[in-house]
Amino acid sequence: MVAELKYEISQNAYIKLVLHALKHKTTAVNGVLLGRVNPQNESVVEIIDSVPLFHSNLALLPPLEIALIMIEEHYGSKGLGIVGYFHANERFDDAELGIVAKNIGDHIFRYFPQAAVLLLDNKKLAALPKGKDQSPVMQLYIRDASKNWKLAGPDGGSRLVIKEPAANVVLSDYISSEKWQDVVDFDDHLDDIKMDWLNLELFK
Amino acid sequence: MEEEVLGSIFALSGSLKLGVQRKSSKWTLYEQVAIAAMDCQCLDVAKDCIKVLQKKFPEGKRVGRLNGMLLEAKGLWAEAEKASSSLLEDNPLDQVIHKRRIAMAKAQGNISEAIELLNKYLEIFMADHEAWRELAEIYVSLQMYKQAAFCYEELILSQPTVPLYHLAYADVLYTLGGLENLQTAKKYYASTIDLTGGKNTRALFGICLCTSAIAQASKGRNKEDKESPELQSLAVTALEKDYKQRAADKLGLLVH
Repeated sequence: MVAELKYEISQNAYIKLVLHALKHKTTAVNGVLLGRVNPQNESVVEIIDSVPLFHSNLALLPPLEIALIMIEEHYGSKGLGIVGYFHANERFDDAELGIVAKNIGDHIFRYFPQAAVLLLDNKKLAALPKGKDQSPVMQLYIRDASKNWKLAGPDGGSRLVIKEPAANVVLSDYISSEKWQDVVDFDDHLDDIKMDWLNLELFK
Repeated sequence: MEEEVLGSIFALSGSLKLGVQRKSSKWTLYEQVAIAAMDCQCLDVAKDCIKVLQKKFPEGKRVGRLNGMLLEAKGLWAEAEKASSSLLEDNPLDQVIHKRRIAMAKAQGNISEAIELLNKYLEIFMADHEAWRELAEIYVSLQMYKQAAFCYEELILSQPTVPLYHLAYADVLYTLGGLENLQTAKKYYASTIDLTGGKNTRALFGICLCTSAIAQASKGRNKEDKESPELQSLAVTALEKDYKQRAADKLGLLVH
């Protein structure tokens, strides 16, 4: 029996995605997860980086196709591939994984069968500054045998972990300093190619 | 962004207290501050502004609208809907009240109701371009691309020189897929490039995507449609030139 897959997301990848969602509070946003299967432990998928994608018209193909081509080209040369997808819903009280997220997830799954779909947990995010919770403010969805995206159960909290335990502290800090203003997504890049979707300067 | 809005709210309320020169604009300012405050969830500020306006215009429809919006901001949907329904009875052709009802449906997640209301609204106010765009975007979010295409067709008909609509229409057609749609999409990416003097990155990429998709879709078919390769190579050249100039580190990623 294969051990249950665990997903370990790096602090930078994690924070980038949450800040992106905070930058565009009134719309849905999405992003891709970059990483690889841990070479020393097959049951762990390392999410090493992330690229924020769009904050408008998430369900249109052309910008998505361009983004995936360029992202795969860039990260492929570093030995990393697309290992998952991140989505944040438009409304605060919408905790459902919508059809667009599932479809993009399906597409990524075809190339990486251990793909994860992460959904922003708005309530957890809102509670962040008050608590000492080290678990990510995201829900993990995995594809089951009947090709459906299933929420990784209540113990699923332990299946998605942040590599650096103090990540939420750093995130809360960034939130108070409104760091989200500096996040660049692919939409921004397509509107002005000088904008760097790699966000290389973000955490300097 | 929020900081700027807050800054403006306090600047505006400051000028309200000092007394603005022209009396007619003073009340508009109160209205604007109220709305801005609601946008930032500063509901007390909003309430104060509305109170002042209520005193001045006790039967005013605009004050009624603001009260409705305040109920929305508090999440009191039932009361907000009641307020807007009664406002509509007295003002059946008030566009803003109609749109608040659509916004309320959307905010509560009743997307099908929002679509229904928006369609009814557009039957009356068919020249409201923002409404057509909103409807198109809602359709896209539900992957109802044919319906979205219809909205953009309406927009292009009424405003044929706005490149945004050409681009969005092309994106939707490409997403729909199929040889005919791809060929039409390519035409609209081309018209976008025309209307933007060749500066629209998304349209340039669109040409490239369409060219390869069309080639894929017409494999095995008789090549009746001679695809002129010039458009594709022009687009690629334009993209390469632009990336070289402004985003050289990404030039190598242009794999087409």
